[in-house]
Amino acid sequence: MRKIVRVDMSDLSVRTEPLPEKWARYGGRALTDAIVFSEVPPAADPLGPENKLVFAPGILGGTTAPNGGRISAGAKSPLTGGIKESNAGGQAAHALAKLGIAALVIEGAPADKDARYLVKIAQDGSVELKRVDEWAGAGNYAVADGIKQMMGDTKRYATITIGPAGEMGMKMAGIAVSDPDGYPNRFCGRGGLGAVMGSKGVKAIVLVDEGLPTVEHADRDAFNAAVKKFAAALREHAVTGQGLPTYGTNILANIINEAGGYPTRNFSSGRFELVEQISGERQREVTLERGGNVKHGCHTGCVIQCSRYWVDADGRYLTKGPEYESVWSLGADCGIGDLDDVAALDRACGDIGIDTIETGVMLGVYMESGRLAFGDGKGALRLLEEEVRKGTDLGRILGDGAEATGVAFGVKRIPVVKHQGLPAYDPRPIQGIGVTYATSPMGADHTAGYSITANVLNVGGSVDPLKPDGQAELSKGLQIATGMLDSMGFCIFVAFAVLDIPEAFDAISEMAAAHTGQPWDADALMELGKETLAMERLYNEAIGFGPEHDRLPRFFYEEKLPPHEAVFTVPEADLDSVFDFVPETAAKMGISKPGA
Amino acid sequence: MRVELALFASLRRYLPEGAHGHERTIDLPDGTTVGQVIALLHLPDEPRVVFVNGRHAPDDQRLHDGDRLAVFPPVAGG
Ligand code: SF4
Repeated sequence: MRKIVRVDMSDLSVRTEPLPEKWARYGGRALTDAIVFSEVPPAADPLGPENKLVFAPGILGGTTAPNGGRISAGAKSPLTGGIKESNAGGQAAHALAKLGIAALVIEGAPADKDARYLVKIAQDGSVELKRVDEWAGAGNYAVADGIKQMMGDTKRYATITIGPAGEMGMKMAGIAVSDPDGYPNRFCGRGGLGAVMGSKGVKAIVLVDEGLPTVEHADRDAFNAAVKKFAAALREHAVTGQGLPTYGTNILANIINEAGGYPTRNFSSGRFELVEQISGERQREVTLERGGNVKHGCHTGCVIQCSRYWVDADGRYLTKGPEYESVWSLGADCGIGDLDDVAALDRACGDIGIDTIETGVMLGVYMESGRLAFGDGKGALRLLEEEVRKGTDLGRILGDGAEATGVAFGVKRIPVVKHQGLPAYDPRPIQGIGVTYATSPMGADHTAGYSITANVLNVGGSVDPLKPDGQAELSKGLQIATGMLDSMGFCIFVAFAVLDIPEAFDAISEMAAAHTGQPWDADALMELGKETLAMERLYNEAIGFGPEHDRLPRFFYEEKLPPHEAVFTVPEADLDSVFDFVPETAAKMGISKPGA
Repeated sequence: MRVELALFASLRRYLPEGAHGHERTIDLPDGTTVGQVIALLHLPDEPRVVFVNGRHAPDDQRLHDGDRLAVFPPVAGG
């Protein structure tokens, strides 16, 4: 029986309850959404006691489903002001699932604002709250070391932690999740969820799964057969079987640059002249030269293995990846063409506990204000270490992200949707991703509907990226599929294989059915994706988000982006059609507005 | 005519000698198509993504003096 564990930080009480029947088919994003939708008033202060921070493994968490160990974190976002789900790899999802926990809900807020707590859930499910006031202001890596010492001989556990940015309530604070080596380097980065955790007085969560078996299946043989089929498809597809494991996510730098959609110097050009120096190919060469690791999974059970470690010139671990998005945001978007500079910034983000995408976009905007030169990697690092980490007056503005920074310093070109910074693809020459940025309930988020597939990569068909035709439909299908994958607990990179290999898609419903004993088929999977999005849209509507918020900033419609001299041309009617299924889905679900 | 050729990731080793990074300028007879260049380079017969001047291009597209031809194996990330 899956259960919900609630930790109320107002009175430090813990309650455990069975997962209600109405949510029996939910996990991951669907479940964090359902809890926020039902229990967090739309008017709640994101950093107040009414907000709730929910962690949920996917439906297949704790099993051997390939790439099925993502963890979803959900809450009302202090950055976007809307509902938020941000997911990460790392070991926490498997640990929660093995502990029988479908959702861990952190509620309330402690009266003592100086108190810092560690929430520890032991193998037997007992929950302990421990004061760790001495960790106030500590970076994620120091906290990870502190936890290691505390755990002594216990080796199998996962951590969920925040750095100083989260404690200070900064809107670009993320939540770090430990990887298989214990490094706190996987992030629920987007939307300021680290600040929500900080507002609850929770510095760290430790989930002990030592000696716990994987979760039991309704039909083990059928499950194993579906796992085999799914893994074979992931190995067979050129992208998930070769490209990603060999070069990691940053293999994208050259191709997005070639397509003219690699946002450079705060979205003023679509090509970066120094891309070669920060490309995935170069990253692999340098990492190999220095003896770093170039292929591992960010969590147990990952078949694709796109993860890698960056080591410094002396061969010492510095940070993960860095991933494509981070190399872009901290590199090209800031005009920085040096991988060591980028890696130093990535490490600082990881330790301070801030979203690399929002940080890079913020830095690009700040550079555009003329206060720091584009390309000044050392200056950018100084800003993060001396201002953001220390929470100076300037650091607090920067720590609230790209929009806050742009407004404070009078920058006109602020690339955000629903207050969240745009990721690593310019929506003018790659219009499908623009539809996702504009309409996703998450704010500008590439993962919500990764139209780069058909727009640039020729995966799952092809749709001309420079034309408006077919983009809304493409984004809609991907947003629904992603809602499903995020709820199952899959890494979205499985989508590259799923879009091209029909057996891979079949294997998902077969795994879900064999694992849960519930009837799952293709329609049910898509329905799950739609239900997820319906809850998100209705929640945001109740807050006051309307069609006018499903738009890109004006400059994307007006300023031509070189080299294609492109502007965003998808008609508003197309944008407004993406969520046309919501009324029907909501009616089927019997929901109309947030609340029980 | 002169065309700028760029080959990425696992295809880089198919670049003719004298390449800088991923790129090499090559001389071709006028009217050469994308597919003819690919055959000339002996690129493996596998899926690929081809751009001419930053736009997707089919194998039968004719190249012009000053064009940039870029070829990628299947890649993704994000
Ligand atoms: S493919 Fe990459 S991001 Fe996805 S689960 Fe594996 S290591 Fe993590």
